[in-house]
Amino acid sequence: MTNHWIDFANSDCILIMGSNPAENHPISFRWIMKAKDKGGVVIHVDPRYTRTSTKADIYAPLRSGTDIPFLGAMIKYIIENNKYFNDYVVNYTNASFIVGEKYDFKDGLFSGFNAEKRAYDASTWAFEMDEKGVPKKDPTLQHPRCVFQLLKKHYSRYDLDTVSTITGTPKEDMLKVFEAYSTTGARDKAGTILYAMGWTQHTVGVQNIRAMTIIQLLLGNMGIPGGGVNAMRGESNVQGSTDQGLLYHILPGYLPTPSASLAKLEDYNKKFTPVTKEPLSANWWQNRPKYVVSFLKAMFGDAAKPENEFGYGWLPKLEDGKSYSWLDLFDAMYRKELKGFFSWGMNPACSGANSNKTRAAMANLEWLVVVNLFDNETASFWKGPGMQPKQIKTEVFFLPCCAFLEKEGSISNSGRWTQWRYKAQEPLGQSLPDGDIIYELFNEIRALYKKDKAGKFPDPILNLKWDYAEGKHFNPHLVAKAINGYWTKDVTIKDKTYKKGELVSAFALLQDDGSTSSGNWLYCQSYNQDGNNMARRDKTDETGLGLYPKWSWAWPVNRRIIYNRASLDLTGKPWNPKRPVLEFVGDVADGKYTSIKWKGDVPDGPWYPLKNPDGTAREDGKLPFIMKVDGIASIFGPGLKDGPFPEHYEPIECPVEKNPLSPQLTNPVVPEYTTEKDVIKTCDPRFPFVGTTYRVTEHWQTGVLTRWLPWLIEAEPQVFVEMSEELAKLRGFANGEKVIVESPRGSLEAVAIVTKRFRPFKVLGQEVHQVGLPWHFGWVWPPEGGESANLLTPSTGDPNTRIPESKAFMVNVRKKG
Amino acid sequence: MAGKGFFIDTTLCTACRGCQVACKNWNRNGTIPTKNTGSHQNPPDLDGNTFKLVRFSEVETDGKLAWYFFADQCRHCLVPPCKDTIEGYVDDAVIQDEATGAVVFLEKSKEAPHEEVTSSCPYDIPRHRENGPMVKCTMCIDRVSNGLKPACVKVCPTGAMNFGELDEMIALANERLAKLKPKYPKAQLLDADQVRVIYLVVDDPKKYHKNAVASLNPGIDRKTALRRMARPAKGLIRTFVGV
Amino acid sequence: MKLTRRDFLKISGAATAGLALSGMGLDLSTVEAYSWQLRTKDAKETTTICCYCSVGCGIICHTDKKTGQVIYTEGDADHPINGGSLCAKGASSYQIAQNEKRMTKVLYRAPNSSKWEAKPWDWALKEIAKRVKKTRDATFTLKNQKGQVVNRCDGIASVGSAAMDNEECWIYQAMLRALGIVYIEHQARI
Repeated sequence: MTNHWIDFANSDCILIMGSNPAENHPISFRWIMKAKDKGGVVIHVDPRYTRTSTKADIYAPLRSGTDIPFLGAMIKYIIENNKYFNDYVVNYTNASFIVGEKYDFKDGLFSGFNAEKRAYDASTWAFEMDEKGVPKKDPTLQHPRCVFQLLKKHYSRYDLDTVSTITGTPKEDMLKVFEAYSTTGARDKAGTILYAMGWTQHTVGVQNIRAMTIIQLLLGNMGIPGGGVNAMRGESNVQGSTDQGLLYHILPGYLPTPSASLAKLEDYNKKFTPVTKEPLSANWWQNRPKYVVSFLKAMFGDAAKPENEFGYGWLPKLEDGKSYSWLDLFDAMYRKELKGFFSWGMNPACSGANSNKTRAAMANLEWLVVVNLFDNETASFWKGPGMQPKQIKTEVFFLPCCAFLEKEGSISNSGRWTQWRYKAQEPLGQSLPDGDIIYELFNEIRALYKKDKAGKFPDPILNLKWDYAEGKHFNPHLVAKAINGYWTKDVTIKDKTYKKGELVSAFALLQDDGSTSSGNWLYCQSYNQDGNNMARRDKTDETGLGLYPKWSWAWPVNRRIIYNRASLDLTGKPWNPKRPVLEFVGDVADGKYTSIKWKGDVPDGPWYPLKNPDGTAREDGKLPFIMKVDGIASIFGPGLKDGPFPEHYEPIECPVEKNPLSPQLTNPVVPEYTTEKDVIKTCDPRFPFVGTTYRVTEHWQTGVLTRWLPWLIEAEPQVFVEMSEELAKLRGFANGEKVIVESPRGSLEAVAIVTKRFRPFKVLGQEVHQVGLPWHFGWVWPPEGGESANLLTPSTGDPNTRIPESKAFMVNVRKKG
Repeated sequence: MAGKGFFIDTTLCTACRGCQVACKNWNRNGTIPTKNTGSHQNPPDLDGNTFKLVRFSEVETDGKLAWYFFADQCRHCLVPPCKDTIEGYVDDAVIQDEATGAVVFLEKSKEAPHEEVTSSCPYDIPRHRENGPMVKCTMCIDRVSNGLKPACVKVCPTGAMNFGELDEMIALANERLAKLKPKYPKAQLLDADQVRVIYLVVDDPKKYHKNAVASLNPGIDRKTALRRMARPAKGLIRTFVGV
Repeated sequence: MKLTRRDFLKISGAATAGLALSGMGLDLSTVEAYSWQLRTKDAKETTTICCYCSVGCGIICHTDKKTGQVIYTEGDADHPINGGSLCAKGASSYQIAQNEKRMTKVLYRAPNSSKWEAKPWDWALKEIAKRVKKTRDATFTLKNQKGQVVNRCDGIASVGSAAMDNEECWIYQAMLRALGIVYIEHQARI
């Protein structure tokens, strides 16, 4: 999230799309209802009328997988009706940038498409540069190749009639949404978007979010209280585990993982440290080398030295261009490329797309380690449905970890607040904190490598800094301090001397010469000379906007609203003086600023504003989007695999044979997997209905915890399939009847909930039915709970993130037996 | 009117069921085995382990869909017919707490005829445990007597559940009603002068739940029920009869 | 006859909690209200954050000082996000703390076996370490087909976990990367 949970209350219009927060983030409604009480408008766009819809002022139905047409039509509406915030668009976005002559879009494909490689050459999407190497601009937004004009042209095809036949949304509902939301283009109005997996789990997942980002930029809603682009994440620490780099493509702090072509640290820094010729751009990632070296110092301690590139060579290198994501991981496991597997605090047998493939893949392993609180379908896969234990050679170790309230440590919520939690009771039975298990396991592994001199490449194992225990137990405070970082030698900067062994106060001080360590630069300040800032419980709120800057700690540097300098005009004054999250209050002499002083949230950089009060430009001012190389936000985004503008493509499995917007039916660059388990059927009469998956309030993820809690399983005891009365009639189902739901990949029994909350969609003149199931269940427990909805979902996904397309696929529903 | 009261604003309820679980949590109540019967409402009804139940109701009015949530519980009637019924059979089985007005069943209520007690309630609330006492919401009298709010009120994220002095709750209810009335002409408070648990709904109360307002029970018509409610219960004038 | 608070306490015993008052054979309507006692009165309070979604609601755990066991959990009223409120999942945290279905022993399933066997921790960690070393040494790639140095363990993968604390996540990634593992995933994509 760019903003945070409490900030929803500051919004004038809340668009909830691709999510169902009343059910999946229930406490968010504490703040959404406050916004509503103050006169804010709540909009819900969703295939199904949910608990969220009941509290919305406007509800609009939309067929799963058609968000881009809907949002594209909104972009068209905003431009054609002059609803955009011109000053913001001209100054803070790349709307004025001139795109090179090689750029083109034709027949659903962008320029640079290579059909054989199924990939784009993105160099054809580059901006035109002036002689200094800065993108050419037209602040009047009139140049035919400026981003604004290209945007206008791109979405001119997205008219209400065409879009309505794709999405199935009645035109009048669409207009209601556009009218309400586009009012936030006024400088004193804020609109926010709350999304979740309903947007990401598509083959156009990233572009769904890009489309909305474009809207937020056109309306000037980024960086302001009550605005932003807000991903509501599904797990208590999925933000933190992402921040800490538990993914194949990033090291802690969003440093890309090195690949084979980057043999030296120098190569790595050259590739990943952006350079700009734009004098007003802060280009914060120019600091990347400091963060990489400080990370390596945290990893390898004294063994990380300038002469060994701080241990860069000890980091594993990915194959260039190869993905190691979830889908690829289980594909490799299915193809017997993997022998050992850790399933730590997860239940992939139910959680990933195409679960039958996942379950079959696990039988190819030599060994499997499962760490969890309860038995689950992954740990017990070898005795699951259709499995023959005697023929499965996989050894399985089940390690019982303790519950969150039986240990101490920090977690980071969606609003980036990192909060400390404490231990309330001893771990149950012989269960242990995950930290203890990891710590001891690595000690055992290291002991083996110490003993066996013939072990492969032992250097990183022997040199890893691993002193995080106090007595016999793992101590989270020691790690929290290592994540924050230390001075590794005495250093004097601007008359101030920092002593070896002191904690670094904040990331602006991190160095690229090995004099600082920091396990994660983004968390530098979380645990410093002031103590454990994550444990703070002071409820001071000077802005009155619910920032609570002294409650816990938020990355980066305790900033509560990211890109907050975009909430100010060029002279540093709030666009909306009634709701100032930040304000420049430096001294003024003769119409010019003479000192730097900020009031409110932690600003996105300390610099002067771009202009003086008298309107003259300053050379020492900085543009607000400091993490972007040009200092401005991207309406045109040339960095993605599937195009610089979002374009509508149908889901890989879809109910239509034609895309009225172009001859290109589906995303041309989606990843393809080719085992016999990767079956995809589109427009197959055997699977005539759109399927989607979702969650309910009473369960969490695969239900690996919640299915075992009597109060919750009593409230939602069994897997169900929700469908319209029309579809139930078509199939002869009664409400509450157990029916079969099947896709080309699997099938399960589910209780039919026949409801008015699902309605057939009118798509291209045809009636299209949609059904939906929660993915909380599995065969292990409870006995009659039913199976995972992920038996149905396809193993294909977004070309950028490789997230599976679990939210739109094709199924059949039929009577049992 | 002295004592405590609830104000339940159904327009703010998202059916997160925090209240349903929080009630079980505080009261250490168990569960029954349930099945999905084509609804999200579960357990299907109040029972010996469920004093608070969020009822789900899908209705269509003039082509417009509504999904109503009704966090059902004992209304703690000002003049509770259940008390009257129980005391017709057994002494010292029910109290009406003086300070709060909470109606609380005691162990001896197991000796009362369960069905008759339940059917005497205009809201169909009292249940009994197997071979055990009659049970229902206690107003969390142990929490309330110690300055805390009932568990279901404390847990509510949106302000749908409110608790305080009855007078204050009535004032709050009227304030919300006035605010909602222009947008929802059918907005109304349910039996507000009869009970300590006042619901605000914006449609015909029957669309939320058949017993949302005091209603017919076997053998008793609505008038009788209301007459019984209005009659001073003998429990109120009872005096201590000795140990 | 009116019962005073003193009389009442004499009869019922000072430690009577909550509804344990029932069954006394009394008409308690005349008993003063504060004789009801909170079952959490003597418990130790510890703050934590809910383990489910990413809103980050504050929870207070009440721990019995004698047994060391959590006896009640509720929303943290001081927490700025949830202000004491919780949803059904958060409100059920007590059943995570006290749950007879929790796994409390290390289990092992041998190749081709049809059953779990309970094992000691020490044995399991040593055995897993042996498997890790054997597989790593057998599948380690020093150079790729192009001859580039990759120092990578291609035969082991890991998923997890957003259910761990930041500090645990950090040391877990440190361990995985020291081993050369690159198939590293967690809940972000599911």
